Amino acid sequence: MPAVIVERLMKLFGRATAVADLSFSVEAGEIYGLLGPNGAGKTTALRVLAGLLVPTGGSARVLGIDVATAPREAQRCLGFLTGSTGLYGRLTGREVLFYFGRLHRMPDTRIADRLAALSLALDLGGLLDRRCETLSSGQKQRVSVARAVLHDPAVLILDEPTVGLDVLASRFLRDYVRAERDRGKAIVFSTHYLAEAELLCDRIGLLYRGRLLAEGTPPALRARAAGAASLEEAFLRLVEQIEGRPSS
Amino acid sequence: MNASDVLVVMRKELRETLRDRRTLAVMILFPLVVYPLVSLLLTEVIASKQTAGEARASRVAVVAVPAVGATAGTSPSPSPSDHAPADAVALDRLRAQLGAQLEVKGGNITLVAPIAAGTGADGQQPLSDLTSGHLDAVVVLEKPSQAAARGAPLRLRVYFDETRETSEKAETRVLEILSTILPPGCTRPYQIAVTSTAPKSKVGGYVLSKILPLIVVVMTMLGAFYPAIDITAGERERGTLETLLSSPVRRFDLMTGKVLAVAILATLTGALNIASMSVTVAEGAKLAGDGQALSIPWMRAGATLLTVIPAAFLFGAVMVAIGAMARGFKEAQTLLTPVYLLCFTPSLVASIAELKLSGLTLIIPGTNLTLLARDLMVGQATPLGAAAVLGSTLLYGGLALSFAAHLYDSERLLASTDGELVGLGAWLRHLVGRARQVDEVDEVDESARRSSSRAGAPAQGAASPGDAITLFGLAFILWFFAFTWLQRWRLIPGLLMSQWGGFLGLVWIYARLNRRPLRDVLAFHRPRLSAVGGAVMLGLSGWVILGVLADRLMPPPQHLIEEMRKLIRPPSGDRPLVVSLFALALTPAICEESLFRGPILRGLRQRFSGPAACLLTGILFGVMHGDIWRFIPTALLGALLSWVALTSGSIVPSMVIHLINNGALIVLGFYGLDQAAEKLRAPAQAEILVVAVALFVGGIAAIRRSRPPIGARQ
Repeated sequence: MPAVIVERLMKLFGRATAVADLSFSVEAGEIYGLLGPNGAGKTTALRVLAGLLVPTGGSARVLGIDVATAPREAQRCLGFLTGSTGLYGRLTGREVLFYFGRLHRMPDTRIADRLAALSLALDLGGLLDRRCETLSSGQKQRVSVARAVLHDPAVLILDEPTVGLDVLASRFLRDYVRAERDRGKAIVFSTHYLAEAELLCDRIGLLYRGRLLAEGTPPALRARAAGAASLEEAFLRLVEQIEGRPSS
Repeated sequence: MNASDVLVVMRKELRETLRDRRTLAVMILFPLVVYPLVSLLLTEVIASKQTAGEARASRVAVVAVPAVGATAGTSPSPSPSDHAPADAVALDRLRAQLGAQLEVKGGNITLVAPIAAGTGADGQQPLSDLTSGHLDAVVVLEKPSQAAARGAPLRLRVYFDETRETSEKAETRVLEILSTILPPGCTRPYQIAVTSTAPKSKVGGYVLSKILPLIVVVMTMLGAFYPAIDITAGERERGTLETLLSSPVRRFDLMTGKVLAVAILATLTGALNIASMSVTVAEGAKLAGDGQALSIPWMRAGATLLTVIPAAFLFGAVMVAIGAMARGFKEAQTLLTPVYLLCFTPSLVASIAELKLSGLTLIIPGTNLTLLARDLMVGQATPLGAAAVLGSTLLYGGLALSFAAHLYDSERLLASTDGELVGLGAWLRHLVGRARQVDEVDEVDESARRSSSRAGAPAQGAASPGDAITLFGLAFILWFFAFTWLQRWRLIPGLLMSQWGGFLGLVWIYARLNRRPLRDVLAFHRPRLSAVGGAVMLGLSGWVILGVLADRLMPPPQHLIEEMRKLIRPPSGDRPLVVSLFALALTPAICEESLFRGPILRGLRQRFSGPAACLLTGILFGVMHGDIWRFIPTALLGALLSWVALTSGSIVPSMVIHLINNGALIVLGFYGLDQAAEKLRAPAQAEILVVAVALFVGGIAAIRRSRPPIGARQ
């Protein structure tokens, strides 16, 4: 069974439709990219998946748990990395990680073990005992990633994690995400950097105005868009098909 | 300086600030509504306190003690052998004469004998009566023979308890009289001395009880203020909220943790204030009193800590709840400032009014804590009273916590946007014109709208909550700054202008601005017969039940009752009953109902559930009457009228109830029947209440039956 199953998901804010009829699934050991321009509904879809928003229609399941009816249970199985780093500036990295670890009801000894492992994997050595407000963007994002994976969740939801990072930091993060995928994690990765998605994702869902335009592997999507040279070009052609005019 | 750049920057800053509706509400509506409201409340409380103080007769005993002259400044402790028979007779005569003069000149002094018969002359018993509160002051006379032997004026000492206001008042009254009279048969006045019987520790506690409770409550609130903002709005602003909410922790647990953290910080602030203030008072008294330290009852000061913990929990929960509503730090400050003042007001009232901790004051949040802190400080707190205060405060805190947890919902916090912000002009139009915009967007079937409106459900094109609050704010401002002035000028003409031109006029302007028929704004529909019948029954019975409730919960002072009687029937007797009925019953029934059960109730109903909208409208209705003593009955009446208007789907039944309610009170007052009713025996009063309750229940049932069918509701 796929680790993540989203079926006919709909989310309305008043009269505005943020997500409509969205369906996709993610297997363990797979990176699924949710792509689209700003305002396409990526963040809303991921927030529903993370149990932060209640769907207006349809369903979202994480390891078989319906996030709408059992959000806390679902949240125990997933790690959510938001667009902002979400760290408490006046706490040290270690304090932040212990705080979230305890919210996940992890014993302190296990948190300490995980910190030791993550410290190596994410190169956190000198960062953990500094106040988060003194860290650079890239350093904050590494601590933030450690926070998201601290409880070793089976599913990772990463909402535009490379926004604002420099090339090296982005590269480091992508490498880490691949490593997690190789450890068998199911990863949902949203971005509006199409090139990044092409580099990283096993499968991609193109989201536009809340609806899924197309889904498939990067080569399949390019092929579907009349042999587009890049994912960006494929996306533009698909939008044109929907809108009936060239998109800008 | 480049003026153009300055103007550009200034315009941008003004535009940005004025687009924040909440800031505007606090800037404009808050000072114009809340400050008058608080001042009204305080004025009434102070006036009532003064009236009650003046009306209360001081209980004074006059005794004669031979040892006074020998031990001036100390408590007299004579022995019966000190009294020679001749002196005893002279003293008795003197006491009687002085007592008679006190009563004649004072008017508000009652000369009483000490409780224990036969011990009045020994001086010890009267002082213990003074300590116990049986007496307010004791006047002790020196033996005439001692004065004659000394060749000096007769000594007289006034004993009082400076830790009791009634005793201080008695001392003032007695001294005023004594300064004007001479001893019988003498040309020289008395040699008067004054002594307070209160021990230093009691004085220390009394001084602290005057200032400490209010300061502690205020500082505890202040201690909660910034932490509450920081952990709610601050979390949201710093971008950590989404991460936190994605953790598998229940919202209630999350908010409980946050509230407890705020409460601990606030408790610390309150406790430090108690300690600091106690030491300051003690040292301050030492500096002011030539090195004589004021004794601080440290145990009692420590006991007041008992109030700090629940206060911290309550204010922490309330402030966290308000902070959870805010979108950022600045907005939280904007929202919390009025809340801070409103939370502070009950404590201020309690502090100024010297209320007694009993009945309703046991459960008024803020007031009860202040009074309990005072009673703890002076050693008058009872375990039952303390339990009631602490229990009710913890209950309110728990409710606020639940509310905060409800508000801290990721759906609301993450989904809300600032999209509604508009320019100042557009905002003002928006406040009164939102319904029109909706109408323009959607073509709503008129009959469907009417049927939904009849059912009390939100209707397309109906007033918004913003409209409701703005209309109330405007009406209150008009009432406070213009209508009261008009009514002081000429009661009946002023009242008619205020009601027809003010309240109804405001609703009419609102309807015009929204391009909606006044009938629709008011939900002025033909009611069902059962609704009218129910309204008549409620109108006939409601005032009886509300009157009984008001008397039990918060009995109004006698002078207010007299004022109401004069309002209904002026002493000159030149106002016919029909004029009073028109001005005081029919007019408010139409005009006040139009405002409160019209756009205010309908607007609040758009945001809140039916019961909550009724309750809020009732509170606003009670507030508009600007009378603390009538607040509870008018608020309850307002809630009842709102329920009737929503349930029946028409404003007419609530107008009928309002008319009959006011009309009944006016007729009773006009013919003096209310005073006759007060003199009825208890069984007769009970019979009236039973009939009223039966009518009330019947009225409620009839109104419920008048509810439009399910299909007509949304």
